[in-house]
Amino acid sequence: MKKLSLLGIAGLFLVLLLAACGGNEETNEAQANSEDTEQENTESAEESAGEEASSEPVEVEFWHAMSGPHEEAIKAFVEQFNNEHENITVKPVNQGSYDDLEQKIMAGAKAKLLPTLAQAVTNVVPEYIGNDFITPLNEFIEDGEIGLSEEELADYVDVFKESSSWDGTYYSLPFSKSTRILFYNTGLLEEHGLEVPETWEDIRTIAETVTGDGVVGMGFENSYESEFQALLKQLGGTYIDEASNEAQFASAEGIEAMTMIKDMIDEGIARTAGEDDYMSNPFGRGDVAMYIGSSAGIPHVASAAEGNIEWSATTLPTLDGEAATTFAGNDIVMFNQAEEAEQKAAWEFIKFLTSPEVTAEWSMKSGYLPVRYSAQETPDYKTFVEENPEYKAGTEQFDAGFFIARVQGGDAVRNIVLEETELILLGEKTVEEGLQSAQDRANETLQK
Amino acid sequence: MMDKPTWNSTLKAFLYLLPALLILIVFNIYPIIKSFLMSFYTEYDFYNDIVYKYGLSNFSDILNDPNFIKAVINTTVFVIGVVPISIITSLAIAVMLNSKVKGLSFFRTIYFLPFVTSVVAVAIVWSWIFHSDYGLLNYFLGWFGIDPIQWLTDPTYSMPALIILSVWKGLGFNIIIFLAGLQNINRQYYLAAQVDGASAWHRFLSVTLPLLSPTMFFISIISIINAFKVFDEIFALFNGTAGPANSTLTVVYYVYQKFYEEWEFGLASAAAFVLFIIVFLFTLIQLSLGKKFVHYQ
Repeated sequence: MKKLSLLGIAGLFLVLLLAACGGNEETNEAQANSEDTEQENTESAEESAGEEASSEPVEVEFWHAMSGPHEEAIKAFVEQFNNEHENITVKPVNQGSYDDLEQKIMAGAKAKLLPTLAQAVTNVVPEYIGNDFITPLNEFIEDGEIGLSEEELADYVDVFKESSSWDGTYYSLPFSKSTRILFYNTGLLEEHGLEVPETWEDIRTIAETVTGDGVVGMGFENSYESEFQALLKQLGGTYIDEASNEAQFASAEGIEAMTMIKDMIDEGIARTAGEDDYMSNPFGRGDVAMYIGSSAGIPHVASAAEGNIEWSATTLPTLDGEAATTFAGNDIVMFNQAEEAEQKAAWEFIKFLTSPEVTAEWSMKSGYLPVRYSAQETPDYKTFVEENPEYKAGTEQFDAGFFIARVQGGDAVRNIVLEETELILLGEKTVEEGLQSAQDRANETLQK
Repeated sequence: MMDKPTWNSTLKAFLYLLPALLILIVFNIYPIIKSFLMSFYTEYDFYNDIVYKYGLSNFSDILNDPNFIKAVINTTVFVIGVVPISIITSLAIAVMLNSKVKGLSFFRTIYFLPFVTSVVAVAIVWSWIFHSDYGLLNYFLGWFGIDPIQWLTDPTYSMPALIILSVWKGLGFNIIIFLAGLQNINRQYYLAAQVDGASAWHRFLSVTLPLLSPTMFFISIISIINAFKVFDEIFALFNGTAGPANSTLTVVYYVYQKFYEEWEFGLASAAAFVLFIIVFLFTLIQLSLGKKFVHYQ
C-alpha cells in the first residue's frame, strides 16, 4: 500500500510537471504571435498599487488579454498612472487570451458585470456597438476641460482614428495596433546576390531563385486573408463595402489576387504556416526565406531566429506601384454599464495610455505600433528604431494602411472566407467557385 | 434499514440531497431548460432578455446548413472511430495489468497519466508528434517505407489524427474502471473453469466478459457520450480551428462557432439541443441493449 501511494505521488508530480511544461509551451507559442494569443496565465493582476487617500476614490477595472512582458508593461503604466492620480485606482485584470477576453465580455454584458474599460479586438467592436455595450467617447474627447485639443486629436495616426470612429462617433481609441510587414532572411538573399524585395514581382523572382534544398521562398500565415485583402486593394477591388454591408471580393480583382497566391503555392515557391501554426517558427529555422506577417510578431521572430539566421523586415511589396497593408489589433473601449464618475476616471486613463510618451514606451516594450505620430519623435523611440530597424517597417506604412470593413457578422464572414480559401488551396474548388461561394455565403450572413 | 418512507425521513433525505441538487439545478438543469427555450428565439435581444418572436426557424436553418450536416457526420465518424478502439485496447491492457506483473502500480500510473494531463498540453505534444517534417510519427512510419503524411493539414488525415489522440487520451480512465471491474470478479469462477479444462481464451470469453458486462456497459455509455461532446482536443490540436477545410468540425465545435464567434445565440442553442436529442437516443438504445446483454452478479 505504501509503495502504491508513493508511486501515486510520484505520478502526480510527473503530471504536474507535464502540465507545467505544457503551460509554458503554450506561453511561448503565444508570445510567438501575440496577434492570436493563446494564454492561460491568469495570475492575479488585481493587486495594483494605489492608496485610497482622498475623499471620493474611484476604481476603474480594465480587462485585457496581455500576458508575460506585455502584462508587466501594463502593470508599470497603471502604477505610474495610479501614483499620478490620487482619486483614481485602475485595476488591470488579465482575462487570458483574446478569445477568453471576448467570452468574458459576453458573459459580463449578460450578467451586467462589465468592467469600465477593456481591450477589444477591432473586428468585434461592431458587435459591441450593435448590442449597445459601448459608451461613445465623443463627449469626453470634445470636452473643453478634459478632452483632446484639435492638435492632439490630429496627432493620433489617421488609419487608427478612422478604424475607431463611425460617422464621426468614436467608439474606441487605438491601443495595441499592428500591421503586416515583410520579414526576410538577409543571409539567404545575400548568398544569392538578391536585393530586398519591393514589389510582388521581386517576391516572385526571389522565391523562384531561392526555393530548393529544403527552403521555400515565400511564406504566408494561416490567416493570409490579410494578404488577399491587401492584394485585392492594390488591384482596386473591394473586400466588403461598409456602407452597403456587402461582400464584393469575388470580383475579377479578387480572382486575380487569390490566383497570385495560389499559383505561388502550387508552384512550390510559397507555403502557408500550416501545422507550424505561425510562420515565425519555420522562418526562424531557415525553412522559409521571406514571409508576410504581423508586426507584433517581431519579438517572436527574433527569438525563433536567434542563432539560426540573420533577418530583417521591410514594408509590404507594392503591386503596379500601389501600396496597401491592413492594420489590425486592439482598441480600448469603455462600457456603458459604468457610472459617470468611473467613466470620467476611465477617460483619464485612456488619455494616459494613448499619450505620446506612453504609447512610445508601450511600442518599444511590446512590438505594437505607436498610436501617435509624435511618439515617433521622442528621443528614446528614435534611438530604439535606429538600433532595431525592423520596427521601422510598421510605422513607415501608416499612409498605405487600411482596415477591413467593420460590420456585424465580420467574424462569421472570416470563418466562411477561411474555409473556402482553404478549399481553393486544396484544389477542391477553383478560385472562381471558391470566391463566389464565399461571397454568396458572406452576403447571406451580412444581410440577415 | 428499509423502513417505509415517512415525511420525516423524506425531509431528511431531501436535506442531504440539497447541496448537490442546488449545484445541479444552477449549473445543469437551468442551463438545459434555458438553452432549450433559446433555441426557439428567432428575434431577440440576448443581452436584455427580450424576445420579440419565437419560432422554429433556428432548427430549419441549421438543418439546411451544410456545415451542420458535416458536423453531425464528422461527430459520428469520430464516435465510431474512437469508442470501439478505445474500449478494446483498454480492456486488453486492463487484462494484462490484472495479471501478476511486477511494478503494477507503476504501469497503472503510466497509463493513467494522459487522462489527468491537461488536454492543451497533450495536444501540443501531439501536434509535434504529428508534424509532417519533424514529427516522430512520420519518422517511425519512414522505417516502414511510408511517405510522410500531412497529419494536421490534409483533410483526409486530420480525423484519424484526432482519433489517435483521443483514444490515447481516454485509455487511462477506461483501464482504471476495467481494472476495478476485473478485480471484482470472484477468483473461484476462474478456478472452476480451470478445473473444467478451459483455456485462457475460453476463460476470458466465458467468465471475464460476461461478468465484466456491467463495467463494459458503463464504459460504453460514458465513452459514447464523451465522444459526442468532443471539443477541446480539436481546438487545441488544430490551433483554434476546426481542422483543415473544416474536416474535424464537430457539433460542439459548431455550437462554439455559432455562439462565441458569430453571436448567433439562437442557432447555437438549437444545435446544442439537436446534439442532446442524438445523445439521448443513443443512450436509450444502449439501455435497451444493455437489458439483454448485461449480467449482474
